[in-house]
Amino acid sequence: MALAEAPSPGLKAPRAAGSLRLAARQFPRHRAALIGLIVLALICLAAALAPLISPYDPTKIQLSAKLKPPSFEHWLGTDHFGRDVLSRLMYGGRTSLSVGLLVVGFAFAFGVPLGLASGYFGGRIDNLLMRLVDAFLTFPPLLLAVALVGLLGPDIQNVMLALGLVQAPVLARMVRGSTLSVREEVYVTAARALGAGPGRIVLSHLLRNVMSPIVVQLTIVFAAAVVAEASLSFLGFGTQPPQPSWGRDMSEARRFLGDAPWMFLAPTVAIALCVLSINFMGDGLRDALDPRAWRTRRSVTVSEKP
Amino acid sequence: MWRYLGRRLVQVPLVLLVVSLMTFLITRATPGDPVQIMLGMNTSPDAAAAMRADFNLDKPLPEQYALWIAKVATGDLGRSIRLNDRVTSLLAERLPISLQLAAAAMLFALCVSIPLGVIAALRRNTWIDYLCTGYTVMGFAVPNFGLALILIYVFSIKLDWLPITGIGSAEAAAGGWWAYISPFIVPAIALGTLQTAILTRLLRSSMIDVLSQDYMRTARAKGLLPSTVVIVHALKNAMIPFITMAAVQFGYMIGIQVTIEYIFAVPGMGSAVLNAVVNRDFPVIQGFTLVIAAFFLFANIVADMLYALFDPRIRY
Repeated sequence: MALAEAPSPGLKAPRAAGSLRLAARQFPRHRAALIGLIVLALICLAAALAPLISPYDPTKIQLSAKLKPPSFEHWLGTDHFGRDVLSRLMYGGRTSLSVGLLVVGFAFAFGVPLGLASGYFGGRIDNLLMRLVDAFLTFPPLLLAVALVGLLGPDIQNVMLALGLVQAPVLARMVRGSTLSVREEVYVTAARALGAGPGRIVLSHLLRNVMSPIVVQLTIVFAAAVVAEASLSFLGFGTQPPQPSWGRDMSEARRFLGDAPWMFLAPTVAIALCVLSINFMGDGLRDALDPRAWRTRRSVTVSEKP
Repeated sequence: MWRYLGRRLVQVPLVLLVVSLMTFLITRATPGDPVQIMLGMNTSPDAAAAMRADFNLDKPLPEQYALWIAKVATGDLGRSIRLNDRVTSLLAERLPISLQLAAAAMLFALCVSIPLGVIAALRRNTWIDYLCTGYTVMGFAVPNFGLALILIYVFSIKLDWLPITGIGSAEAAAGGWWAYISPFIVPAIALGTLQTAILTRLLRSSMIDVLSQDYMRTARAKGLLPSTVVIVHALKNAMIPFITMAAVQFGYMIGIQVTIEYIFAVPGMGSAVLNAVVNRDFPVIQGFTLVIAAFFLFANIVADMLYALFDPRIRY
């Protein structure tokens, strides 16, 4: 035991820091990913600082200024109650992004342990867990979320719970797949031969090596959660009026489609920008975390992806 | 292959059993009483009790589930609490409409993705390839209900070319073929754009993969016509993963139609589930989710079979 324990802390620490630092150095070389990160950071900032920087109160009704097109006073125009679309957009982003983050947290907290256990222990546990995951995955995700939220009651907490339940099995299936392949690696056998217990193998060998696909998958989960939250609110199952929400506001904009196209365009563009920047970031992370895809110089690509 | 198919088909009822149990538990574990919603607040306790007994809702949960499953096994999905109609007859109304919309969306996806994917692969790193990449990126990013609103704004309001609603309506059925088809166009494009993006990207990369194979050079060296080389040698092989993916995506279609059905007032499966969820119409929720899950499972089996059919190297 002493033999197994003694060298590992010394060996592990610099390697981890080194690979992370290398990955961090790779990331900005992916130009789309860098732009994605900046755009996402700006969106997050606008949402987080909404109470400080939003030009108007998002729920303040001013009928004298209703359905005004974009102007100097109202950059993105006003809605049918004279509320400022830009302010509503910024406040709506708070909901969308926090739902996205919490769903990512939920999916990680449940999907990763399930996938690791299933992949590492195999056998009956694996069979049981994966059949359960199969059943979850035969439901169309949005319909499952609608059913869950509809039955639990339209409430933002239930939206998070439902979307987390929808996403966790997807992550579990992926983690299981990666775990199965990593489990057979020589270094895992070596660790076992050195007397490492299952807990140590799972946490410091398996988890570490399946981490990069997990991180990439989590960006997909985040984007999916943002869209799903908007879809649920659009259908009337998420945020309730008068609270601003991207999906809900688009649903209300349907009645003024011809008169006030900015009302539905603004949230649509916001969702698209959000998803786009997350996707680009995910691509960049995928490349940065995969040493085979690293670029040596700025414009020279080592491995060109078909 | 036939043994594999048999094994897969045997698994279907098992997965569906788990699905049905899950739906049952979800409906029963959540708040909301269908009888209360149906009859309203100020109803006599006797009437409510009679209705509960009528729908077996007064029995213990395991018995309710057993009774329901026994009926499902005979092809009877029970009665809707809300509409007091058989779930199967509601299904007979809704399923064809959802299938038609899914088929229209898939047709759009195929018509766009095949030429776009092939041309993008042949003309790599030209403006048409970048256009294709841009299209797929946007297809992934814009949610289908946002796209639907944009399309309505452009084609129905500004240009006034296409109707917004009318799928499954009496006028559409009575007027000629155009009256029948035209309401499908905008929803099908809105619904199928994500699939178009997925399929275009897949076809582009598998075409590029195939084009770099040795047999492509041989075919060209033999002096075959460029069109023969592309269509017979390259496309035929590149289509294998494409067809599989298309089948899988088609299986998804019915389940993801909810928002589109909501916008375009389509009387399909998604809006039926939506209404059933709001009204706690348990038999409809249970029956419809079962059918949607079965459809998805069969689409996946078909996809795997197609894979084996088109690629002789694959043996199950």
